[in-house]
Amino acid sequence: MSRTAKICCLLVIGLWLLMALAPSVLAPGDPLAINPTQAFAKPGLAHFFGTDESGRDIYTRVIHGAGDSLAIGLAATALGMGLAIVLGTIAALSPRWLDEIILRILEALYAIPSLLMALLIIAFTGPGVGPAIVAVGLSTAPGYARLVRSQIRSLKNSEMLEAATVLGRGTWRKSRNHLIPNALKPLLALVTLGIGQAVIWAAALSFLGLGTPPPAPEWGAMLSAGRTYLHLAWWMSLFPGLAIVAVAVSATLIGRALGGKVKSL
Amino acid sequence: MSEQTLITVKDLSVSFDGTPAVKNISFTVQAGKVLALVGESGSGKSVTARSLLGLSGGTVTASTLDICGHDARSLSDRAWQKIRGNTLSLILQDALMALDPLRPVGREINDGLKEHTALKSAERKQRVLEVLKSVRMPEPDVRAKQRSTELSGGMRQRALIAQALVGNPQVVIADEATTALDSQLTALVLSQLRALKQQGRGILMISHDLAQVAHLADDIAVMRHGEIVESGPTQQILEHPQHDYTRKLLRAVPSSVPRFTALSDLGAEETTSPARKIQDSEQHSPALSVKDLSKSFGKHLAVSSVSFELPRGKTLGIVGESGSGKTTTARMVLGLEKPDSGTVELLGERFSPSTASQRQNLREQMGAIYQNPLGSFDPRYTVGQLLTDALSRGKSKRASEYRKPITQLLEQVELSADLLARNPRELSGGQRQRLAIARALAPKPSVLVLDEPVSALDVSIQATVLDLLDRIQLETGTSYLFISHDLSVIEHMSDTVAVMHQGKLIEHGDTASIFGSPQREYTQKLLSAMPRLR
Repeated sequence: MSRTAKICCLLVIGLWLLMALAPSVLAPGDPLAINPTQAFAKPGLAHFFGTDESGRDIYTRVIHGAGDSLAIGLAATALGMGLAIVLGTIAALSPRWLDEIILRILEALYAIPSLLMALLIIAFTGPGVGPAIVAVGLSTAPGYARLVRSQIRSLKNSEMLEAATVLGRGTWRKSRNHLIPNALKPLLALVTLGIGQAVIWAAALSFLGLGTPPPAPEWGAMLSAGRTYLHLAWWMSLFPGLAIVAVAVSATLIGRALGGKVKSL
Repeated sequence: MSEQTLITVKDLSVSFDGTPAVKNISFTVQAGKVLALVGESGSGKSVTARSLLGLSGGTVTASTLDICGHDARSLSDRAWQKIRGNTLSLILQDALMALDPLRPVGREINDGLKEHTALKSAERKQRVLEVLKSVRMPEPDVRAKQRSTELSGGMRQRALIAQALVGNPQVVIADEATTALDSQLTALVLSQLRALKQQGRGILMISHDLAQVAHLADDIAVMRHGEIVESGPTQQILEHPQHDYTRKLLRAVPSSVPRFTALSDLGAEETTSPARKIQDSEQHSPALSVKDLSKSFGKHLAVSSVSFELPRGKTLGIVGESGSGKTTTARMVLGLEKPDSGTVELLGERFSPSTASQRQNLREQMGAIYQNPLGSFDPRYTVGQLLTDALSRGKSKRASEYRKPITQLLEQVELSADLLARNPRELSGGQRQRLAIARALAPKPSVLVLDEPVSALDVSIQATVLDLLDRIQLETGTSYLFISHDLSVIEHMSDTVAVMHQGKLIEHGDTASIFGSPQREYTQKLLSAMPRLR
């Protein structure tokens, strides 16, 4: 990765983190403060992104919404990846029959479209932030698990691991020092891409009213609210929509940059 | 001159983006003669061969570049296509890579005819069979319909040669055509080349190994850094080499060089000084004792009832062709493969069959060196981290805690301490193998299992690594189980030799007696195929 690309990636990540962790630095206002007299104000100097039907400042809400959206994206990806590492590793290291059983289950899950599966899960658990994380996490796990499994399988029989065996390393040390880091390294780029995807799915669930409940400033929920007034106040939908696109694009670009790095190794 | 000159090259230079790879070299290839271009990787010999085919990919200049009457300096792509395969053809090294695995070999060979001749389909089929017959392919009509993956190694080599010959070329270029082949396949390829020479074709042989070309070549040109440093009739080059580099290459050939005699210049004074450290073998159990080891994979019996002993501080060489079971034996000795029957004892204690925890204490007494050291390193580790990992038993990656033992290890294998922060990928082949040796030595093992440790190295690098292994054995008394398909390396390195064939250990004895008076017919055949200088 070139130096400029590295700096750009770090800057983008820093910006998102700042928005997520300390939104007041960029938008000191209260994202929930209602001001009916200012309802449907157009974007301008007073309100950068305009206001919504209750006169809440869209700019403040978009900035404050980053925390929830990113948290759901990160938590869901972490859940999916964690589950995938466990399942994938077990499948790769276990005897053939258990491997086959896990594989068949993963394939069955893989066959169901992820968003549909997320909807199914929420149908059982009911809507909310937690269920949205679980739903998105669970529905991404099968894809990752298959990748983890094949990575570990090919590494398991590598000369590198045999060399470690000959040097007297036990199973635990071999897995911790060689097997898992080398299996996960190529997945890093994929995970970054996955975060962008998870943010979109989380927003989609909120848009359908199955994620973060209003009036919390969540991008998907804001999009949904704006839909009603689309002919009247386009800015209510446009800016949260742009925010989602921005996260997805930066995650994709960073993922690509990392992917290039991994490939060049 | 009575001979017909087929290729004349004068002042040929090839450069890539301004970097010269070949500098002002001149040679001729004559009908019925073999010219060998000998040099190590990076010497420019392959680039030279490729520029004769218009495939170098670099900027080619020459005052004369005449290929059978064509001025190759100003040929169009179309004209080159006519020359390739027709006037001039190339035999590549690796038959498995060079042949399309999805197409029957007959069709692969047929392609050349389609491209270059106006023969009808039936005539072409006839010609393909003729060519296959001429390279003595068994059952050519059956083989022509098979894919390269369905053929044995020998048949694949024959198919590859047939492919080069089908256009009836006047000149054949063999680019490392025998490298990495075991001795019988090498003998096969060499005999095929000899037949081509007798047919009056001109042959340009490219090789890094002087011994390989010694018997076939009429003339030898030694290349180094893109230049021909010495050239002349084979006899003269071998017996009265003028250039230092030629002498170095000749010296590096290990066949018939006694143990502990340096092959490289570097270790010259060192190897004679220290007395050999061998514990009295009467008092001690052998370093390694293998009894009745057998292993089959499915119906295939890979190793059948193999027994041998490796005395302390000595080297046992195991030699055999690919598929003879040497590597499976090594893997069972190392405890990486569970034997179907038989036992492995290390320093008098049971090593295999056994569980990982039972052999834990013995593990460090046995190390391994592989043909491809890079594959055995964790790609995330630097040189320093690899050695720290080995020294700390996997508990640490911080090189600062182990500075002293690391420095000692690097000195032992003659590597510079500047390399510590580098990734092994950035090292040369010889340096990588030295690093692998250093890592294997870290736990101070009693036995090293070396599986084809120098097969991927150039002869002069091979010489320095073999010298290093000699010196380490003298200094530390480590016993070596040395596995190779290369008879000359085995002859130089071993105290005793075991010959493996089809999973069985067919002959076992002192190196001198095995190489001097082999008893078994197979061993005799193997030895007669061995290329020798001396």
